[in-house]
Amino acid sequence: MGAHLGRRYLWDAEAEPDPLNMPSFPAELGLPGRQPRAMVASAAQLAQARVPLEQRDFCGHHLLRLLRCQRDTFPVPWQCHPLRHRWDSCQHHDYVMRMKEFERERRLRLRQQRLRQRHGDGDGDSE
Amino acid sequence: MAAGALRGVLWPRAAAGLRAARAALAAPAGARAASEMSQDMMPGPYPRTPEERAAAAKKYNMRVEDYQPYPDDGLGYGDYPMLPDKSQYERDPWYQWDQPDMRHNWGEPMHWDFDMYIRNRVDTSPTVVPWHTMSKHFLLFLSIMLIMFGLGEIYPSYRPVGPKQYPFNDLYLEKGGDPNKKPPTVIHYEI
Repeated sequence: MGAHLGRRYLWDAEAEPDPLNMPSFPAELGLPGRQPRAMVASAAQLAQARVPLEQRDFCGHHLLRLLRCQRDTFPVPWQCHPLRHRWDSCQHHDYVMRMKEFERERRLRLRQQRLRQRHGDGDGDSE
Repeated sequence: MAAGALRGVLWPRAAAGLRAARAALAAPAGARAASEMSQDMMPGPYPRTPEERAAAAKKYNMRVEDYQPYPDDGLGYGDYPMLPDKSQYERDPWYQWDQPDMRHNWGEPMHWDFDMYIRNRVDTSPTVVPWHTMSKHFLLFLSIMLIMFGLGEIYPSYRPVGPKQYPFNDLYLEKGGDPNKKPPTVIHYEI
């Protein structure tokens, strides 16, 4: 933990990705046949349920089910735990995907550096 | 008709009776309410001569050399003694005071702002740690905090994850985008 901060601020800021403007490489580079992420709930459904904007992510359908269950079985705290767990694990997988995305960006930047060193001052994205 | 004549007689009589009752209730000229301080509780005029000073000191149960009135600057202190600004918290708690909760003896002159210096109000006793040590500690804490906040502003700490991904072109319409324009296409991929 914190190794990325050390790399960013102390020795290799060139290869370390900036999370604010991140997917700087084409999505298919090195990963042929990548599928776009599927969104299950529609925008109208999320708007109708008045879900906060920061929660209208790719796990929105799990959140809709959880909110409906909590509304229907209001005073019972343990009734919706399976749905809660499904939403939580969806968020967990979402976070793991973001971690993988970061690591992919880092490795692609390292590869770009290697290619630049091998081909002189050429463009590393050519291959 | 008889009733009307009777009313014409009764009305001035009732009004006169009411006026008399009011006059009896009203205070006579020169009188003051009982809630004000009486004349003998008020401080006397500012002492000018040594005899007046001695009389005033005797009135306040003080020695003449201890007696020092407030300056005669028109604020109405009169001959009231100017006592040191010491809170009652500083006084000896083990002494048998006549009034232990006020730490005050009977007949002892009271400070003009006596109620300000009672034990749960202003405390003038010296602090345990000297003032310079306290201010040094505070400034040290403040400067360390400011330095650390500045460092965190220059080198922000974050987790090694990509940005949060949202559907519908990163919530273009939901975040107030113009529905008549074509939104910038944002596609997020599985990994």
